[in-house]
Amino acid sequence: MSGKTLTKAEIVDYIYEKTEKNRAEVKVLVDNLLEIMKQAIKRDNSLLISGFGKFDAYDKRARKGRNPQTSDSIVLPPRKVVVFRLSRKFRAELNPDEEL
Amino acid sequence: MNKSELINTLAESRDIHADEASAVVNSFIDSIKQALVDGDRVEIRGFGSFKVKGYKGYTGRNPKSGEVVNVAPKRLPFFRPGKELKEFLNK
Repeated sequence: MSGKTLTKAEIVDYIYEKTEKNRAEVKVLVDNLLEIMKQAIKRDNSLLISGFGKFDAYDKRARKGRNPQTSDSIVLPPRKVVVFRLSRKFRAELNPDEEL
Repeated sequence: MNKSELINTLAESRDIHADEASAVVNSFIDSIKQALVDGDRVEIRGFGSFKVKGYKGYTGRNPKSGEVVNVAPKRLPFFRPGKELKEFLNK
């Protein structure tokens, strides 16, 4: 663990080096791409990126919760949550010595 | 939606060639994967963050056959959706 964090700006730099576009253009493209990804997760409840993984959105029902500070009983509203499931290929890349 | 639909939608939205959109999407994914393979965190404001957690190996048992199996140590990525994505999905 090197403790580094890859940010959007660095992703833009990486793509900039791989393509013949200028930085500003790449930044617009990355923002567009993220917007499309968000829309897809919302609309289809699923975004599959082969070789990487799948973003799945699913509905959580309303449930009773409690404010841990005041211990007041509250109803948590139903909501949509998103999870990431990694692909077999990416799992193998993260774990080169693992036998599947 | 899958990756090729993602590429086509990006190409249409910016009026660029599908090959260019493909290069952008693939480099985008590669940069994230590479960071995670290196053990780094990834943080995309408004979308979410990824980090890799390491798990120690252990000796387990196949619950059906009772057979002893060795589970190797592994690294798995975790995604935490950002505030904007959570709000967007629920609006």
